[in-house]
Amino acid sequence: MNKTMNSAALKKARSSGFLRRVMQQTFSGWGAKIGLAWVGLLLILAVFSPFLANSMPLLASQDGHLQAPVLRYLNVEDIVVLAAFFIFIVLLLTPLRQSLKTLLLVFLMAIVGVTIVSKQFVVEQQNIVYEDFRHQLKNYDWYLMPPVPYAPRDYLRDVRSLPLQAPLVDKQHIHWMGTEENGGDVLSRMIHASRIALGIGFLATGIAMVIGVILGGLMGYFSGIVDILGMRLVEIFESIPTLFLLLTFVAFFGRSIYIMMIIIGLTSWSGYARYIRAEFLRLRKQDFVQATIASGLPLRSILFRHMLPNGVAPLLVAASFGVASAILAEATLSFLGLGLVDSPSWGQMLNQAVKSSMFNWWMAVFPGGAIFMTVFAYNLMGEALRDAIDPQLDKA
Amino acid sequence: MSLLQVQHLKTWLQSGGNTVKAVDDVSFSIEKGETFCLVGESGSGKSILALSIIQLLPARISSHPGGKILFDWRKQASTQQVDMLKLDENALCDIRGSRIAMIFQEPMTSLNPVFRVGEQIMEALLLHNPGLSDEIARQRALAAMEEVQINNAASRFNNYPHELSGGQRQRIMIAMALACEPDLLIADEPTTALDVTVQAEVLKLIKALQQRKRMSVLFITHDFGVVAQIADKVGVMKKGKLVEVGETRQVLKHPSHAYSQKLLAAVPENLPRRDKSKLETTGENKKNNEALVKTARLDVFFPIRKGILQRVVDYVRAVDDVTIDIHKGKIVALVGESGSGKTTLGRAILQLQKPTAGSVTIDGEELVGLSSKELKPWRRKMQIAFQDPQSSLNPRLLIAKTLTEPMQVHGIGKDDEERLELAAEVLEAVQLKRDFLWRYPHEFSGGQRQRIGLARALAVNPEFIVCDEITSALDVSVQAEVLQLLLEIREQRDLTLLFITHNIAVVEYLSDETIVMKSGKVVEQGLTSDVCGNPQNPYTQKLIAAVPRLNS
Repeated sequence: MNKTMNSAALKKARSSGFLRRVMQQTFSGWGAKIGLAWVGLLLILAVFSPFLANSMPLLASQDGHLQAPVLRYLNVEDIVVLAAFFIFIVLLLTPLRQSLKTLLLVFLMAIVGVTIVSKQFVVEQQNIVYEDFRHQLKNYDWYLMPPVPYAPRDYLRDVRSLPLQAPLVDKQHIHWMGTEENGGDVLSRMIHASRIALGIGFLATGIAMVIGVILGGLMGYFSGIVDILGMRLVEIFESIPTLFLLLTFVAFFGRSIYIMMIIIGLTSWSGYARYIRAEFLRLRKQDFVQATIASGLPLRSILFRHMLPNGVAPLLVAASFGVASAILAEATLSFLGLGLVDSPSWGQMLNQAVKSSMFNWWMAVFPGGAIFMTVFAYNLMGEALRDAIDPQLDKA
Repeated sequence: MSLLQVQHLKTWLQSGGNTVKAVDDVSFSIEKGETFCLVGESGSGKSILALSIIQLLPARISSHPGGKILFDWRKQASTQQVDMLKLDENALCDIRGSRIAMIFQEPMTSLNPVFRVGEQIMEALLLHNPGLSDEIARQRALAAMEEVQINNAASRFNNYPHELSGGQRQRIMIAMALACEPDLLIADEPTTALDVTVQAEVLKLIKALQQRKRMSVLFITHDFGVVAQIADKVGVMKKGKLVEVGETRQVLKHPSHAYSQKLLAAVPENLPRRDKSKLETTGENKKNNEALVKTARLDVFFPIRKGILQRVVDYVRAVDDVTIDIHKGKIVALVGESGSGKTTLGRAILQLQKPTAGSVTIDGEELVGLSSKELKPWRRKMQIAFQDPQSSLNPRLLIAKTLTEPMQVHGIGKDDEERLELAAEVLEAVQLKRDFLWRYPHEFSGGQRQRIGLARALAVNPEFIVCDEITSALDVSVQAEVLQLLLEIREQRDLTLLFITHNIAVVEYLSDETIVMKSGKVVEQGLTSDVCGNPQNPYTQKLIAAVPRLNS
């Protein structure tokens, strides 16, 4: 009986937690709501992009047999992203109120598991000939196409000889945002590129935050010589221009999105380390931290249970701006022509627009607008978050 | 006719949709040349009342649905009675500073740090006397500084606020307030942030100036000792209402309202004394009694670094050659003014601050020089409780977690279930409810938080607790409860306490032995009755004499 009472009380107590209050306050304003809606839309697009824009039917019936060609052509990345999304939803809705740490651990383990399993069993389809699917359509009894019936790398060679087309010109093959110089559908490429924009934002910022929190935390807690050395390291990293480092690394290691994420992460942690260091220097003097030392608690608990949750708020603000700048960094690289070669990204699409002989407005406006909107959305959320955790604004 | 009459004043504050009746139907009057003291606990509305009189509350959030504040406004020759609530902003500006002046609690922040103190006094003068020439204003400012007994006023004139001590800054504030010779001085806790010896001087100064200038004073305080020193009349406030007004002697000796009686009974001087005979016998057995904690020639120095190379040029000697014994089962009070090193000594004993030299032993075991791993078993034996109820608890942790985590680290209790049970028992021991376990710190009042802080210290069942000013931030009635609780727990658990405080009255009530510190050195130590009753050291004598007593 005691136990059930305790857990009920625990649940009640959780609901008044600090983070929840901050989140409520952050998303009470219009700016943050718009930002969240845009990022939410991007998330949906990124997760379900193979089902939203693809040249193959979602469902088709041939001689009474139902088949889903889309599923056959999913690659490992698609499966991992989908799995991560659904595991996240399940964990979010789970009635079992575990601690944040266990939930995070379960989430990470599930993703690693799915990645390993799908690497084993999924056969990557090489050299897909998208024209075949359009020829195949005649043989189906009925079929259901995705909302945008073109894959990002489907250059429609069977449809027309002149690849470049403005939006909504061809009444037979409708391109809402036109096509690019190779004949690919711009909307389809935009949808698939949203995955890169989101992924680079989250992963690069995540890497930077982990490094920044650990180094900054140690600097702030131990101060003294650790702090002096750590701050010099921070200054060294701050003096390296990220863009040129990225250029060098791309030249060395080739054009991989993952290497880009890691490099952006490795070079942008210094800001987070500074924030956490300052917070920890302040917290270290606080009585409740002194009490934990007096109680002989282990360093891990002092740093991560007692100090970090109290000092993490400014970090979240910095992170929301960091996501925006990581997206910009990738866009810049792609714009300079050093981004990914075949998979589309918004920056690369802008690059295409510049390179083409005449100005085709649809090739510049849509990806440019998307970059602008995404960076703007993260900045809106960052601003709202900063206001929400500012105790002085709270009073007024 | 009275100088100031407040009639049925109501001040309502709007905060987040709620209306707080901060001042609710308050009436009183102040005669010319009289000192009126407003006493009350925090949140009773005494500061809001003062700000209402001088009309300094932001109009956006405050309103006066009723009442009058009648003030005799002395313009050049004539005097005219005005209602402060009905005056326009220009008239108010003429009155503020020149006819009604105000001094605030915090001497650190009430002066502008980028101007010289003399200029700030001159500015106040020039503002209200537009015809004054700079030279005359300068002379009057200097005269005002001499009046508040600032030594060497001419050279202090060009100092910046940070170059002055807290007491000197408060004197500058008073000089500024008095420069225009106001009829009414409102002093909002002007001595609360000051040390007791400085407080005594400032109180004497205010009293002397008031008598010389026939000025009225509205003095706000929470300290009945100060009331007894300075007030002609006293008003007791509770939750926005003035529950009792009367002559000081009458109210202090024979309070008529139940709330005033309760407040006065909670003053440490008036708390029921403990059985002193028991104390005497233990005092005689002192020789047999083993010392639990000992320090020998303990030093804690903080280096002062200068120059580009950050060379150490000198040390701040926070704790300087301190040798003390703390006997088992005793409450030892450590008294001193701010900066005397008493908190640093407490922390150095617990190894929260690394000593520069010397030794600290508990149960005969040396603690100095042990690594944090080697210290861990000793951590269980000695704990600390802190002054500030706001920062002493982790705001992001449930009370349950705060209490059980140290238990878990020290292997107390078999499983979480048992530890929760133990934590609930500790909460009951500090007279809190069991289900407070499932709350966060922000849901508690200051007194409750101090009890939880004490519960955290008790959770690992220590033998020795350092109580660092644990009642200083509390109202007097809450302080009384916490002190009584501390005595009870000491009896039940056979604890040894080092009670760090600046409040002599608390020392006299609580402690068995007293140690007096000044500038890092121990100047006197012995039984409390000896140290407080018959001080030998000149500094201790001065300290004891400066304590504002209720029955002086």
